[in-house]
Amino acid sequence: METLDTVVSAETPEGIAIELRPAGLGARCFAYLIDQLVRFVILYAVALPLSFTGRFGYGILLIVMFLLAWIYPVVFELSRWGATPGKRLLGIKVVMDNGLPITPAASLTRNLLRTADFLPALYGSGIVSMLLRRDFKRLGDIAANTLVVYQPEAAPKVALENVEPRPPVRPLDPQEQATIIGLAARASRLTPERMDELAALAAWVTGDAGRSGPDVTRRVLGVAQWLLGRR
Amino acid sequence: MTPLQFETQYQADWDELETLLEQLKQRSAARETVRAERLASLYRRACEQLALARARAYPAHIVERLNQLTADAHQAIYQRREFGFKRLWQLIAVDFPLAVRAHRRYVWLSTAVFVVPLVTLGLLVYFMPELILALVDPLTAAQFEEMYARDAEALGRTRDAGTDWAMFGYYIRNNISVGFQCFASGLFAGIGSLFFLAYNGAFGGAIAGYLTERGLGPTFYSFVVTHGAFELPAIVLSGAAGLRLGHALVAPGRRTRRDALVLAAHESIVLVYGVVGLLVIAAAIEAFWSSAQWIPLPLKYGVAACCWLAVLVYLVSQGRHAS
Repeated sequence: METLDTVVSAETPEGIAIELRPAGLGARCFAYLIDQLVRFVILYAVALPLSFTGRFGYGILLIVMFLLAWIYPVVFELSRWGATPGKRLLGIKVVMDNGLPITPAASLTRNLLRTADFLPALYGSGIVSMLLRRDFKRLGDIAANTLVVYQPEAAPKVALENVEPRPPVRPLDPQEQATIIGLAARASRLTPERMDELAALAAWVTGDAGRSGPDVTRRVLGVAQWLLGRR
Repeated sequence: MTPLQFETQYQADWDELETLLEQLKQRSAARETVRAERLASLYRRACEQLALARARAYPAHIVERLNQLTADAHQAIYQRREFGFKRLWQLIAVDFPLAVRAHRRYVWLSTAVFVVPLVTLGLLVYFMPELILALVDPLTAAQFEEMYARDAEALGRTRDAGTDWAMFGYYIRNNISVGFQCFASGLFAGIGSLFFLAYNGAFGGAIAGYLTERGLGPTFYSFVVTHGAFELPAIVLSGAAGLRLGHALVAPGRRTRRDALVLAAHESIVLVYGVVGLLVIAAAIEAFWSSAQWIPLPLKYGVAACCWLAVLVYLVSQGRHAS
């Protein structure tokens, strides 16, 4: 678990560890491409009316290009979503290392240092940095103390309304309990065959070690029901 | 306590906390009705319950809900507001000039790296004008002559370059981008910043030397001297900020490289704020004032002297008593 998981935990003053799941290269690349598209669309939307105003409009257009290149990500990261449109679409956002919303200074730092990440070409330094680090930071993130993380999604509620609760054959330690309940939580998303296979691994809790099938699965889910507190 | 009992017992608290957080996100009057003590006490309780839920390995949906709640409340409670005019004023009146003086060593180094090539190339090209062709092609050299010709309609631009507004946009985009690049490329051991500084210095010096030799000195200097008061310090300061980044990586001292870099970025970004301000002012002056041919030269030089004096005094002494 430890070696594979990329979760970063940030401790709050209350002694609670907040779990942050850093977003990797793939998601961030897509977000970047979407943002490029959004920039392109904005630029054209602005350029069309300005093209009728001659040289004055040309000056304004150059300022808009400047703002799109440098200030666009800063403005969106400081908004209440903490993410540019591309990042929002992919369900990721930028936060400080300690899980707090990004500060203006940090946002400007990480977006200006994009230049350094871009070198020598096509975000070479940034990509190398992201691939080498467990928390997928590019150089700008390292300097600004920021992290790009997945927006957490709500876990599915354990739905086991019609299963008869049954006690396990021996007391289970917390880790074992969590595993059984975790299996029950996934029941609705797995095919019955896969569910039977997985339940067979846990069959010893009902004294069915070595057996498998829908009945065993049912009894294992019954144990989960009992563990949840429905008696 | 079984997970279900736990959930039923505290459900009400969690729902209330969720509603409060929802209200905080709105802009309207609902925001004002949130009582801070209530929010804080619900938050602390949720933290406790999260710790319990984790220790007892309760089902994922409970732990994750609490995780989400505490994370949201944490963000709402500990967020810092760094916006507004008060903050901006503090930046202009105190933080920026203080940061400049705190980075004194970098500023001097950066000045030297900019000015030495400028003077050297300026003198070289003045005495050996053909050297200009080693730096720019003949067409560009001719364009520069055209830009500062005595009969030019507006100084500092080719005849078809456009109006003041077009040039304003151009200066904003180009100059501020160069400032940003000069800062960011300092991350690579300062080499990028050194290159930008030396290159811009050398190029500017060469052009100045060339135009002076061609007898266009009066128009050229009257053009650059006013906005230069803002633009040259800005270039030097963005280079200084970049050098600070590079120095933190090369010689982090008693910190880890990472910590040194974070600190350097945090402190030097204040310089970059100032650079942006200076370059916006420079762009406005360059587009609307410097280029104007109708302003008599003595007036231009007078205003320029005031600008230089104001910028230097501001950088050297503003905000002294604030700390």
